[in-house]
Amino acid sequence: MMTSRSSTFSLCRRRMLVSLCAATSLLSSAALLAQEIPKYAPPPEIDPNAERPTVVLMSMGGTIASRGTPRLNVTNYGGPENPRVDPEDWYRDLPELAGIANIVLEDQRAPQNPEPGRSTFEDWRRVAKRLNEIAKDPSVDGIVVTHGTNIMAETAYYMNLVVDTEKPIVFVGAQRPWTGLSGDGPRNLYDAVRVAASKEARGKGVLHAMNQYIHTARDVDKTSAYRVDTFKDVDVGAIGFADPDKIVFYREPTRRHTSQSEFAGIDFESLPKVDVVLAYRDAPGYVIDAMVSNGVEGLIIEGTGAGSLTAGQTEAVERAKKKGVVVVATARTQGGRVQATPRRAAAGIVPGDNLLPEKARILLQLALTVTRDPAEIERIFAEY
Amino acid sequence: MTSHPFLRSSRPRTRDAIRTFRSRSLQCIAVLLFSGLAAGAAGQELARAAMPVAKPMPEAARPKIGLFTTGGTIQSKGEHRQKLMEYGAGRVTPDELLADLPELAEIAHIEVTEISNIGSGGITYEHQLALVKAINAYLARPDTAGAVVTHGTGTLEETAYFLNLTVKSDKPVVVVGAMRPFTAVSRDGPFNLYNAVRVAASPDARDMGVVIMLNDEINAARDTTKSNTYRLETFVARDLGPLGYADSDRIVFYRRPIYRHTHRSEFDVSDLTELPRVDVTYDYQEDDGVAIDAFVAAGAKGIVLTGSDAEAVKRGQAAGVVFVQSDRKGSGRVLESARSRERGIVTADNLPPHKARILLRLALTKTTDLDEIQRMFNEY
Repeated sequence: MMTSRSSTFSLCRRRMLVSLCAATSLLSSAALLAQEIPKYAPPPEIDPNAERPTVVLMSMGGTIASRGTPRLNVTNYGGPENPRVDPEDWYRDLPELAGIANIVLEDQRAPQNPEPGRSTFEDWRRVAKRLNEIAKDPSVDGIVVTHGTNIMAETAYYMNLVVDTEKPIVFVGAQRPWTGLSGDGPRNLYDAVRVAASKEARGKGVLHAMNQYIHTARDVDKTSAYRVDTFKDVDVGAIGFADPDKIVFYREPTRRHTSQSEFAGIDFESLPKVDVVLAYRDAPGYVIDAMVSNGVEGLIIEGTGAGSLTAGQTEAVERAKKKGVVVVATARTQGGRVQATPRRAAAGIVPGDNLLPEKARILLQLALTVTRDPAEIERIFAEY
Repeated sequence: MTSHPFLRSSRPRTRDAIRTFRSRSLQCIAVLLFSGLAAGAAGQELARAAMPVAKPMPEAARPKIGLFTTGGTIQSKGEHRQKLMEYGAGRVTPDELLADLPELAEIAHIEVTEISNIGSGGITYEHQLALVKAINAYLARPDTAGAVVTHGTGTLEETAYFLNLTVKSDKPVVVVGAMRPFTAVSRDGPFNLYNAVRVAASPDARDMGVVIMLNDEINAARDTTKSNTYRLETFVARDLGPLGYADSDRIVFYRRPIYRHTHRSEFDVSDLTELPRVDVTYDYQEDDGVAIDAFVAAGAKGIVLTGSDAEAVKRGQAAGVVFVQSDRKGSGRVLESARSRERGIVTADNLPPHKARILLRLALTKTTDLDEIQRMFNEY
C-alpha cells in the first residue's frame, strides 16, 4: 500500500496525495502514455492486511522516468514533447509494488529547465541530506533511488561515502524509456524495491540493482551504451541476484562505506575542485597546466597501463605538485589496480587502487576536505 | 640470426634439401639438448633473478605455512620446455618445488606434507579425506598461520569446495595449481605458489573460506570454475568474480563470501573413512534416463541432475535415492520452485553439477531428509 507513516514525510505525503488526485482525473489520457505492460497476465491480488516493510521510492529522474513515442523509439525519447514519468505514474503502472512494501514516494528530480551554469552538485547535496534524514526515520526499512544511467554510478558512489546508514539504498535505472517496447524499467524497479525491502541487503553499502544483478556502488560501471546488461562490477563482479524466487547475496564488500565512512552524515556545501586528465600517446602537459591555473586542488590521472603518464604530463604534474595540487593515478584500462610502487612514492603520486577515474575524483574531493597529506590520502584510497 | 643454418633451410623444396634439413635439425636438437644439460645445473628458468621479493622478514616473525602437495601440472615435468600438453617426464617432489623457489623461505616457514603426487584426474575421496584431516591437524596448532595445497587444475575446484565445507578453521587455506608444467618457459606455477603462500600468510585472508590462487586472482572455492582448457586466466567465478588480488604491493580483498564455510560448516569428516556414492547425469535431447537407472543400480545414494527423465527419477526416488537439480549452463541459479518441491527434487542454487555432487555427498553423511538437504543447498 502507498502510505507514509511519519511526520518526516509530511512533504512527500502532501505531494503524493496531490498527485494521486491529479492522476485519477487524468487517468484516461495518461493511459495512452502508460508503461507497455502485457495484458495477458494481470498482477496478483494483494493482501491488504499483510505486514510489509516500508520503502521510500525516490526519483532523481533518468530514462526510467522518461517517455518516448512511438514505443519503438528507445534512443531519442524525452524532450519537451514527451512529459516525464512522475513517481506516481510508476506506482500506478506497477500496482505489484504494493505487494512488496509500503511505498512512500519522494520526488528529487533536478529542475527540468535549469539556469545556465547551475552546478549539479546542488542535486547531490540536496539528495545526500535527504537520504541521511530519511534513513534515520525508524519507520523506513529501505530506499530506492532512480537515476539516469550515464552518471548513476558516480552519484551512487558519492552517497555510498556520505550517507550514514545500515539500511539498504538501492540505485536503479533503465536502458529503455518507461514506455519503450520490452522496456527494462518496470522489472528493474520492481526488483530494486525487493532488494531495498530485504533484510539481507542491510549493511552492504549503497547498492545498484538492474538486469537482476546486485552490484556495489563502489565497483559498478556502465559498460555499454544501449544494452540492458550494461552495468558490471569492474574487477570483482556482482554480490548477488534479484532472482524470481528470492533476493540472494553471496558476497559483502570489504571496503568502508556508509555507516563506516568517515565522511558519512556530513552536509558538504561544496567540494574541492578536482579534474581528470587522460593519458594517451604524446598527451600534452598544457591541459594539466590549464587545470591548475583554473584552481584545481587535486588531479586524477587516467593513465595508460598501470597508471603511467607521458613525458609532457609528468613535467606538468611536477609543476602542479609544486603548487600544492594532490595527484592520484588511476588506469584507463577499466580494470586492475594502480599499485603502490617505490617509483610512484618517490614522485609523490598517490595510487588510486582500482577505482575508475571518475570515482577516484569523488573520493579525492572528499579526502581533500580533511587532508592534503599524501600518506593520509593513500590510506583513504586503500580503505574505500 | 639470419645466418643460422636451421632458419635458412626451413623451407626445403627437394628430397635432398629435406635430407639436409633433417640432419641439420638433428644437429640443432643435439645442440639444444647439450645446452639444456649444461643449463640444468643453474635451473631451466630464464628469469631466475628477476623475481620481485617481498621485504624479507626476520626469521622469528615469519609465519608458519603448511604446504600440502597432491601433484598436478604445477609439479609436472615435460620432455622439453616448450611442451605444454601431454607432459610425461615425471613429477617434482615437494623438496624440488621449494628448492626452485628460495624466495619463499624469506616470507614464511614452510612445513611440507605430501599427500600424493598425481594428476587431478586421480584424486578421490580417499585423498580428500587424508588431505582435510592433515590440514585440520596442522591448523589446529596455535603456532600455524595457514595452509597451501598444490593440486592439478582439472578437478581443483572440487577438492577446494570439499575443503571449504570440511576445514575446521578460519585460517587461510589456499589451493594452487598451474596451467603450464614446472619445466616450461613462461611457466605460471612459481609465481602462483609464491602468491599462494603470501595469501595464506595474510591476516586479511582469514575467514574468507578456502580460496583458489592462480593468475594473481584470489577466487572463492565455492564459486570458481575452470573455464578454459589451457589459458592462464582459466579460473573464473562466472556469476560473481574474484574476492581480491595478490598484487606486488599487497594482498588486497574487495569481497567477503557470506554463505557458510570452513569453521561455520556443520560437516565433520574427522571420523569418516568413506563418502556416499553420488553421480551426475548430463542432460541432452533424447536423454531417456538410462544413465539414472544405471547409477541407481550401481548403488548411488544421490544423483545430481542437469535435466531429467521424470520416470527414471521416480524409479530412483522409490529406491531411496536423493535427487538434486543443477544445470549444465555454468552460471546462474536453479530457482526454488513449487514444481521442484512437488517432484521431491532439491535445487542446487548456482552450484555447478560437480560441486553440487560434493555438497550432496556431505549432506548424505548427515541426513536423507529433503527439506534439510534443501536448507544445506541454500546455506553453503
